[in-house]
Parts: sequence; C-alpha cells; structure tokens
Amino acid sequence: MNLHECDEGLTALLFGDAAAAAAHLAGCARCRMERADVERVRGVLAAAPEPVPPPGLAARVLRAAAPLLARNARRATWPAVARALVAALLPLPLIAFFDWQIVRTAHAVLSRVLPDALSFYLVFNYTATLVLLLALTYAAVPILVERQARLRHQESHG
Amino acid sequence: MATDEALIAAVAGGDGSALAELCRRWERPLFRFIDRHTGGRDVEDLYQETWLRVVRAARRFDPERRFSTWLFQIALNLCRDWHRRPPPEPVQVDDVATTDADVDAALDARRLLAALPEPQRSAVVLRYYHDLGEDEIAAVLDCPRGTVKSRLHNAMRRLAALARK
Repeated sequence: MNLHECDEGLTALLFGDAAAAAAHLAGCARCRMERADVERVRGVLAAAPEPVPPPGLAARVLRAAAPLLARNARRATWPAVARALVAALLPLPLIAFFDWQIVRTAHAVLSRVLPDALSFYLVFNYTATLVLLLALTYAAVPILVERQARLRHQESHG
Repeated sequence: MATDEALIAAVAGGDGSALAELCRRWERPLFRFIDRHTGGRDVEDLYQETWLRVVRAARRFDPERRFSTWLFQIALNLCRDWHRRPPPEPVQVDDVATTDADVDAALDARRLLAALPEPQRSAVVLRYYHDLGEDEIAAVLDCPRGTVKSRLHNAMRRLAALARK
C-alpha cells in the first residue's frame, strides 16, 4: 500500500465512509495500527455537543437587518423609477413648446390692452406657475412609482 | 415551497419574510459552522454579521449557484477575518494532558479543531459536521477538489498524531 492509499483509507475511516475504510484496512497492516488513533479522533469529534443557537437570535438578526431590507426595497424600485421618469420626460419638449406658444400669445394679447410692465408681470406669474407645476409633477413620479411597487409587493405577499 | 435561491431574490427586493424563512432554514447549520470554526467564541456576533452581509449582497447573488455554498462562503470569510484579529488566543493542545486517563477528557473537539490550521479546520468542519462532499467543500473554500482532499488527509494525520499523545 502506498501512502496516498493509506491517507484515503484512514480519512474515509475518520469521516464515516466505513466501506472504503474497511476495504483498505483489511489489506494494510500499517493502517490497522493507526486505526485506534483515528477512531479516537472520530469519537472525540462525535462526542462534541451540538451548538444550539440561543433563543431570540433570529429575531435579533431580523431587527438588525430591517434598515438593510428597506434599502434593498428602495433599490429594487430604481429601474421602475428610471423607466417612469424617461416615459414622463419624453413629452416634455412638446409640453414646453406649447407652453412657450401660449406664453408668447398671452403676452402679445395682454400687451395690447395693458401697460407693458403689468402684462410682463402677469405672463411671468403664469410661466412661474407652469414651471412649478411641472417640477412638482416630475418630483412626484419617483414617489408614486415606489408607492405602487410597495403596494404590488404587499399584494403579492398577502 | 420556495427554494433558497427564490427567497434570496426576494430578500434582494427587501422582503423581510423571505429573510425570516432563510434564517429559520439555516439557523442551526450556520450557527454550528461558526461555533466550530471559532471554538465557540463571538459566535452570535459572527452569525448576525453573516446574515447582514447576506442581505447587503443579496442583489449580487448568482442564481446559478447554490445558496448554501454562498452562505457558508460568507460565514467562512468572516471567520477568517475573526481569526486574524488580535489578540489571538492560542490553544496549547500539547499542554493539555500527558497521561492516558487525561487524554480522553482533555482532547475535546474544540481543542482538536483549534489545533488545525484554518484551511484544514474549515475542510474538516464542513466534511464531518455538515456532511458536505468534496466537490461542495471545494466550492465553499473556492479551491480545487484535490486541495480539499489533501487538506482532509493532512488534517487526519495531524488529528491522529494529537490523539496519540
């Protein structure tokens, strides 16, 4: 028997592969002498009490993981938020063009009947309101998408 | 019943109930692995940190791989880091006992495992206590199967020599 075969046989004995160990030990006097040592190791390893997790450990882990799970949930919605923003931004040039036409027309009409300063003031207020509404609309997109994803997740998980 | 791989995908989406289910399934094996690797020290902290890393890295989990292999790899890396931390607490197996009567009492599994170099200890714990095959151990330890074999052989020789003393 060569050393490798002896290693194989005794390792099989240590790790409980009885058939392979017996086949080797039957024909190897040297390993039969070492058998007691390996069996003693096996006995010691087997006698070790099984470590038991303390009660409440899982709950502690779940509490600690809660912020990370929340972060995962937010990140999971990023692709949907990106898609929604792209979809919302697509018509923006058209909206801006029409708004610009309305503002120009309003300014032209108002400046015929009102003093220039007052006409400019009214048109400026109108434009500012439009810009604010657009900004609020686009700011709401990620919030609405995240909320929708959360609701979908709650529905799918009862 | 959802597979571990499906559950970790749900964890990547922030699902707490999926994490609870994974914890329930793997609580004992993981706890045992860490306990045997560190000799019972700092087990709860390492156990918790393993799960936190699982949650952090859930998005990067490769669904082609087995969850258990990935979980043990994370735990193993944490255990390795733990062993590198100062101050180490050396276990002097040679000093434990000299008479035959003392040997059996003193040579407990923890001391035996602590006497092994870390790569051999990992292989022995996974083979003996978790009943993993050589291929699975090689996947966890990220080394060739032949290396696992030689580590197990060397560990067996070393443990037998300790038992002989």
